[in-house]
Amino acid sequence: MEVFIAQFVNGLSLGSIYVLLVTGFNLLLLVAMIIHFSYPQVVVFSMYMSWLVLRFTGNNVILGVLAGIVSAIVLNIAFAPLFQQVMRKRGHVDINATMVVSMAIGMIITDVLSHEFNNGFPIAFPENIKGDEALFQFGLIHISRGQVISLAVGLVAVSAFFWLLYRTKYGRAFRAIAEDPANARLVGIPIFQTGILSYAITGALGGVTAVLLAVLLGSASPGLGEAVAHKVLAVSIIAGLGNLVGGLVIGLSLGILEAMVQGYITGTWSNAIAFVVLLVIILAKPRGVFGMKL
Amino acid sequence: MEQNELILKVEGLSVNYGHVEALKDASLTIGRGEIVVLLGANGAGKTTLMETILGVHPPKTGTITFKGASITGKPADKNVRDGISLVPEGPGVFASMSVSDNLLLGAHHNLRDSAGKLDRVFDWFPILKDRKDQTAGTLSGGERRMLAIGRSLMSNPELILIDEPSIGLAPKIVNDIFAIISQLNAEGYAILLSEQNAYKALKASHRGYVLETGRVVLEGASADLLNNPAIKEAYLGA
Repeated sequence: MEVFIAQFVNGLSLGSIYVLLVTGFNLLLLVAMIIHFSYPQVVVFSMYMSWLVLRFTGNNVILGVLAGIVSAIVLNIAFAPLFQQVMRKRGHVDINATMVVSMAIGMIITDVLSHEFNNGFPIAFPENIKGDEALFQFGLIHISRGQVISLAVGLVAVSAFFWLLYRTKYGRAFRAIAEDPANARLVGIPIFQTGILSYAITGALGGVTAVLLAVLLGSASPGLGEAVAHKVLAVSIIAGLGNLVGGLVIGLSLGILEAMVQGYITGTWSNAIAFVVLLVIILAKPRGVFGMKL
Repeated sequence: MEQNELILKVEGLSVNYGHVEALKDASLTIGRGEIVVLLGANGAGKTTLMETILGVHPPKTGTITFKGASITGKPADKNVRDGISLVPEGPGVFASMSVSDNLLLGAHHNLRDSAGKLDRVFDWFPILKDRKDQTAGTLSGGERRMLAIGRSLMSNPELILIDEPSIGLAPKIVNDIFAIISQLNAEGYAILLSEQNAYKALKASHRGYVLETGRVVLEGASADLLNNPAIKEAYLGA
């Protein structure tokens, strides 16, 4: 029972990271109409920016957090013209072409990180960012500061996002474009500006995720983004591409599944086992557990 | 209000989709107090003409003048803000969104007094008030048309483009929709509508244009077009 509770909390905090990433990924898919496979690489790049600023400011937490969030927003928006241009040149929204563009961006980010930062070695975040000390310890149950922070902030960020989606005019425009972009334009929704706004919001979500990853993992490596990217894409497909509520449920479930495998079977096989489960689900539910929303 | 004062003037408009000429040298005018109808078969260019006026397709040649100023090449969202709105063909509503969200989308640019705007739409279409929290997907075909027309009023337009208002609806509902279009016009909205249901459309409108494969081939007062032998043969089944 103790192992179960400990791993359940582990899984929730890991799952909240997946939920944030899948939510950003889905929003870009729905509103900007791109498959941003490398969105997690953008997030990992922002972790590096945060690390850099921490180093040069004597571990100023506020500046470090700001650097992570701002760089994710800026980097995400900076790629928007590239995606737009590829779509315009091809004459229509070609979602597969956007995936290739995104993969290229991801490769470049990974290479830049492995050549230009810390000689390619994994970076470690300072103690005042890392959240690995126990807030609560009872037998095997060890709940760290980082886990509590990532769960709490993840919950607030996702709630804020859904509030924006269902309670503001921008969210209304997002939902309209997601359902029928051609009709949204006929109604007078500014497609371009709303698309850019979706890049900015996914950037902000990504920046928050970058900070939470730093708190939770305490380190990062150039290859982290790609490893996470596979899972985010898988979660989105299993939940149903573009299904925001589905992404929430499946993202949390994947986190819990991985934690349980680590707790009860073996840590080194948790990725393989998670993907086997995902494969079985997608065979049974080809359009995703909650249905595609594209 | 002077019926003849022009609100919209389209001159020599051509639009290409790739190598296909969807619209060739089309010209038309709409007066402030008018209902003008576009007649033509599927693929004649009616939807293209309306969407180009709205600003969805960039014209290859030609000019569009709205309220005396050129709007050629302006994007749709600017034109909606300036007073043109469009009721798209087909259901034209966002099925997964609530009725009130659908309506508020029409007022995206200016949500000031959105409650007042909603109330005015509910005065036109009381059924929408009862259904305002339901998703649009649960509405009947006629209710969806009313919702799309209601949404087009939310941006405070001066000119409403209505694409095939009668398509797919039962005759009784079609009569209701045309009655509402006439009332809207009486309230001061200029209206351009496209129709395949030529008889009802000509009865309800002041003037008409006939499009064939992207060209305006005939124009005139609706009463004259109703008696035109070519129209009778092609569109009225006589």
